[in-house]
Amino acid sequence: MAIIERPSSEVTTPAVVAPSQALGAIRRPVASKGWREWLFTVDHKKIGIMYGVVAMVFFIVGGVEALLIRLQLALPDGRILSADQYNQMFTMHATTMIFLFAMPMAGAFANYFLPLQIGARDVAFPRLNALSLWLLVIGGIVLNASWFLGGAADGGWFMYAPNSGPVFSPSNGVDFWVLGLQIAGIASLIGSINLIVTVLNMRAPGMTLMKMPVFTWMILVVQFLLVFSLPVITVALVLLMFQRSYGATFFDVSQGADPLLWQHLFWIFGHPEVYVLILPGFGIISEVLPTFSRKPLFGYPFVVFSGASIGLVGFGVWAHHMFAAGLGPVSVAVFSISTMAIAIPTGVKIFNWLLTMWGGKIWYTTAMKFAIGLVVLFTIGGLSGVTHSVAPSDTQQTDTYYIVAHFHYVLFGGMVFGLFSGFYYWWPKVFGKLLNEKLGSWNFWFMVIGMNLTFGPMHILGLQGQPRRMYVWTEARAGEGLFNFGFWNMVSSIGSFVLSIGILFFLINVVITARNGKQAPADPWDARTLEWLATSPPKEHNFDRIPVVHHLDEFFHRKYEEDANTHTMRQIATGEDLIRAEEAAADSDIHLPGPSYWPLVLAIGVGVLGLGVVYGTPVMVFGAAVVLLASFGWVLEPSVPEAIDYASPDGDGHSKEIATHG
Amino acid sequence: MFTPSSKYFVGLTGIALVSAILYMFLINPSDLGAIALFGVAASSALVAGFTLFTRDNDAFTDEEAVAAAAHAPGASIWPIVFALGAALVLTGMATVPVVFILGIGVLFGAGLEWTIQNWSQRASADTAFNSFARERAIGALEYPGLAAVGLAIIAYLFSRVFLALSKDAGTIFFIVVASVIFAIGFLIALKPAMRGKATVLVAVAGAVVLLVIGGIAALSGERHELAVASEEDHYSAEHRECEVEKSEHYDHHANNQVSLRSAVTATIFVEDGKLRAQAIGIKKDIDTITIPRSLGTTVMFRNLDETEHRLVVNLGSHTVAETGVKEKVGTCTQLTGKKQEQVLTLLIPKPATAEEPYFFEVPGIEGQIKLVVP
Amino acid sequence: MDTVNNVKSPRRRISTTLAGVTGLLFLAGCATNAPQDTWQAKGPNAQKISDLQWIVFPIAGVVGVLVLALAGYIMFKYRDTGQPIPTQGHGKPTAEIILTIVPALILTVVGVFTFRAIFDLAKTEDTEMIINVTGQQWWWEYDYPVQTELGINTPIISSGQLVMPVGTKVLLRETSRDVIHSYWIPALNGKKDAVPGRIHLLRLEADKPGIFAGQCTEFCGLSHANMRMEAVALSKEDFAKWVAGQQKAYTSPADGTLAKEGETVFLNQCVRCHQVNGLKKADGTPALAAPDENVYSGAAPNLSHLMSRNTFAGAMFDLLRKNCRSDVWDATSEEFGAKYLAGVSESCLNQTDLRAWLRNAPAMKPMYADPTKLTKTGGKYRGMPNLGLTEDDIDKLVAYLLTLK
Repeated sequence: MAIIERPSSEVTTPAVVAPSQALGAIRRPVASKGWREWLFTVDHKKIGIMYGVVAMVFFIVGGVEALLIRLQLALPDGRILSADQYNQMFTMHATTMIFLFAMPMAGAFANYFLPLQIGARDVAFPRLNALSLWLLVIGGIVLNASWFLGGAADGGWFMYAPNSGPVFSPSNGVDFWVLGLQIAGIASLIGSINLIVTVLNMRAPGMTLMKMPVFTWMILVVQFLLVFSLPVITVALVLLMFQRSYGATFFDVSQGADPLLWQHLFWIFGHPEVYVLILPGFGIISEVLPTFSRKPLFGYPFVVFSGASIGLVGFGVWAHHMFAAGLGPVSVAVFSISTMAIAIPTGVKIFNWLLTMWGGKIWYTTAMKFAIGLVVLFTIGGLSGVTHSVAPSDTQQTDTYYIVAHFHYVLFGGMVFGLFSGFYYWWPKVFGKLLNEKLGSWNFWFMVIGMNLTFGPMHILGLQGQPRRMYVWTEARAGEGLFNFGFWNMVSSIGSFVLSIGILFFLINVVITARNGKQAPADPWDARTLEWLATSPPKEHNFDRIPVVHHLDEFFHRKYEEDANTHTMRQIATGEDLIRAEEAAADSDIHLPGPSYWPLVLAIGVGVLGLGVVYGTPVMVFGAAVVLLASFGWVLEPSVPEAIDYASPDGDGHSKEIATHG
Repeated sequence: MFTPSSKYFVGLTGIALVSAILYMFLINPSDLGAIALFGVAASSALVAGFTLFTRDNDAFTDEEAVAAAAHAPGASIWPIVFALGAALVLTGMATVPVVFILGIGVLFGAGLEWTIQNWSQRASADTAFNSFARERAIGALEYPGLAAVGLAIIAYLFSRVFLALSKDAGTIFFIVVASVIFAIGFLIALKPAMRGKATVLVAVAGAVVLLVIGGIAALSGERHELAVASEEDHYSAEHRECEVEKSEHYDHHANNQVSLRSAVTATIFVEDGKLRAQAIGIKKDIDTITIPRSLGTTVMFRNLDETEHRLVVNLGSHTVAETGVKEKVGTCTQLTGKKQEQVLTLLIPKPATAEEPYFFEVPGIEGQIKLVVP
Repeated sequence: MDTVNNVKSPRRRISTTLAGVTGLLFLAGCATNAPQDTWQAKGPNAQKISDLQWIVFPIAGVVGVLVLALAGYIMFKYRDTGQPIPTQGHGKPTAEIILTIVPALILTVVGVFTFRAIFDLAKTEDTEMIINVTGQQWWWEYDYPVQTELGINTPIISSGQLVMPVGTKVLLRETSRDVIHSYWIPALNGKKDAVPGRIHLLRLEADKPGIFAGQCTEFCGLSHANMRMEAVALSKEDFAKWVAGQQKAYTSPADGTLAKEGETVFLNQCVRCHQVNGLKKADGTPALAAPDENVYSGAAPNLSHLMSRNTFAGAMFDLLRKNCRSDVWDATSEEFGAKYLAGVSESCLNQTDLRAWLRNAPAMKPMYADPTKLTKTGGKYRGMPNLGLTEDDIDKLVAYLLTLK
């Protein structure tokens, strides 16, 4: 988008009032202190932090739901939750963890570090960035509001038709679920387009795609997955919304519908979604492992392309969620084989991580422990995944606890461990303070033991034949001997509390660090990528001077030089030296977009519009009016707040100017 | 910051909002009245925003300066569009409501555009700035509005084309169009130099082609069997009665429907003048078809004979409450030609009585297939 | 260089995890007689799956152990012991290619076996018997179409327990009246969803007489956890006896007995939804149940020959007392048939659960049966409502139900 050129006084006829001044009538908020600074910000770093906070809150909400589930299942015929409450609980646990924790937390890392890693000063469309954050918050509120408005959704996160129809799920829970997910989906779609444009257009000079950090690469792949998969689930959600609220019959069998339509639509989205969740974790540890092994990532192009091919093949395996759904042997065989195929690029990644550590100088920080934890736990989850790709075997395992074990090893072991690795690795970058390593160690060990205690026994439970999604299990089916359902369910429930103690250690660590944490040095980990060339925490404009990139791992290569004779690495500068050098050569005028009210207002409007589906047309009309007005406000908003003096873009043209109307 | 007229509109917004909410709580939460009041609130808020944005137009029009530098106002298309709208409204009143609604839309749009244009031309002496101001003021409505109308036209024209072409021709048409679009996109991607004008040219050409073909299709009407079907009221319940002679236009190969592949419980054949049946999952012929109670069950009829036949299912009789007359209950397929299939979906809530067993028959063919509901 | 202190910690984690996981998997085999164990095949279809699992699981296990051992070795060998910063090598393409091809080859082997098994299990040409299986919230209905060669001359309808002959290739035709359910008897075959509007085929065959447990495995709403099933395999002779028993004509209880009074209660209350074949009203006309007018999904379990089954309420409760139940479940395959065909006698009847059920069904099993909350279904129930029977009525009904052998 163009930046408004203020006509300079030489051009304008003196008799005419300079028109530009008139356009300031609706002012942009001025950057201030306190809550306004956060509510109206368009700074990708503040937005990233808010994403993190929101995701963490929902992580705790989802975690409490999980603990209630485990309490209920610890003993046979559990009485803690009713059948209805239990069904709501497991539906919302999955929905919250996937859509309100895992995706936003990955979004937090992407928002914060992606511009820093590619040497940019913000994302391509800062206001859209704020909009996607607020839409996510509104979506999360709508989803969880259902708890207090007649009961949450109770059809499982997969929400199979026709069980999700108005007759079979008579409360408004599914309506809120459909609306919340649509709103959160808009948020993700906007966010993904924003990040794709940012990566493709705003990389620092010299940073070709193959010199891009792997984390950025994986985030890029994830955004493409989202762009192609979210429309599918949106279509499904719209169909369901019309069925529930406006009498359509898309999934009504008596009207000739085929309920498998929903399953196909859901899993064409749902399977790529799995990779949307896991690839950011892969990206994070692909930064952490090299840093703490003091070696570059082994086989960088292979890791990048295996990530991309996982993304691509991920669109061709959805029906492996439906091996028992009655597709016929030909479809089953095809999807069985394609599912096996996806194990190959995944295996490539694991081997490359191991070979990255091979011959390294491994430094066991908490971040590194979590990263290695991911490699190990994900390997277990991946191999149990291979056993499912064998379709006949899967017909025995699907919808049992074996599957629950599998995907928690993949998602908790893979994704959550990656995110925690990221917390410990990047905390000093974001907040300027180091998280306590000792508490970190406690955090890690409780989590890894708790995780294995919780989800390990589920493999056995599943193979012994305990199905999922049952609000009680009965002794009649538990088997005899010590190691029956009762034993393993109890172990699993105890494990879930060990796990939550681990997470509690993290929260304690955060509080202690915030109160009296150690000030972090500029380059605490002897890191490798560009984000460490900025100060900790980074300045509002990230980089004093836009870096020029010559290497993969640019920051490392500015610090070290290979000795031509001995081939050993020799340090030529410290991180602090480099940062000081940047400060000394700072660009003279840096232009940043000002804060804005409208993303927040627009998001609220969308939320009200959605609630109108449940509460009637007038509410909808009101919401639509707010959306319309907010769009006008957005467009009419001047490019900069009055307090910021406009400065023209750099004359020498080496910086990419940030769009102010994004 | 608040100018006099914006104060008025802000106030109006507030009052409308309060009354809308009161209306919702006191009178009817989902009534048209509440919607209208919200509409008033929304539009006055919009106007308030505009007056704020333009500071009641004062900031721009230092009158002498404008007069000194004023250009003659440019040509405007809106008066004639407005007149067209008025004509449409009047025509609509006399003919069909669609035209009337269209006219209202045109009147509203043209009025809005006219107002904004008029304002923007006097905004300042700087024409470049004026057109920029117009763009800012109306763009947020203009672009989404035009996009929605454009999409609606494209979707409508496409649907007309598909309704006019036969099923097979429609498939081919779709494949050809998709390949052409893909090929052109590919070419443009290969030759970046082409991008600018060529893209515009292709888009315009595509639009023209779509308009022409779609227009022709819309005028020539739906394809024959659809027209017949709607004339004969194929979609109503009466059309299922077995006495009514059916038209030749129906789905001749029900077997090809994907949704039926795994839904057919049993198939009944007429072959060499004989009746026989097969059930799913078992190869040999059967003489009894068992259907669970209250379960929508699909039975297929396949005619392998030279002449046309129809499958009839007899489901006993029921007594009409008012008259006490016994009526036969049952249904049937269409007349089915050689090597064609038809399906029947049955939902039977009760088992048959001993006096009136359920059975399938084909008029003109000997024999019956028993139908049992346990 | 300004960095935080190198935190050293024990690195035995990998080996403990490794030992833990393999140990746990080993222990899995130690659990005895879990009725739904997926590794204890009792018929050829399940055996085919089991054979396949014995290929895939060991391969996955060996690969896992190797990878984790490699990880452990690397973690120990290359820990920071003060060695210089290594050369910044970017990988070796040959290693990459080998590490791509080896897993691909392993998966190809697995793929070949998988492919064969998929088509093997989908075969239906040699079917010897057909049973229609219809899922409904939250119970299964079994109906046996007329198959004269098996002695089934009039259709048999049953629920709760699927009864089939051993050594016979039985084909289930599954469908559903409302939402998606999934039929799963782990000892006999993998699961297959019962989808409304579609008919899915699942082959079962049992090697020996016995009773095999199962559970609905597609989430189907409120009482999904309580939707169980049991498959009973009888020797061919015993099966013929069972078939004959199911086709036996209805005999009304003798006048003046408690059971006769129970029949009246049944006619007044239960027959609205539950069919008993052959039951006649006081005026001599057949009593036809009309579940379609009262139940949303359109059916309620047919109670003819109720006492020949061992369970009720969607196999959630046993009709047999605990000791009588284990007598049947633990019987050897030779004795099993006779014990099963004995049905439920008065002394073995699980009176507690049956009476509680008749007293207030929704309190026993979560269902949508509250008459005040049925607006979305147009007033129809989704499960058995509380009928408000008196204790007297319940006594009579129990006596009557006991006659439905």
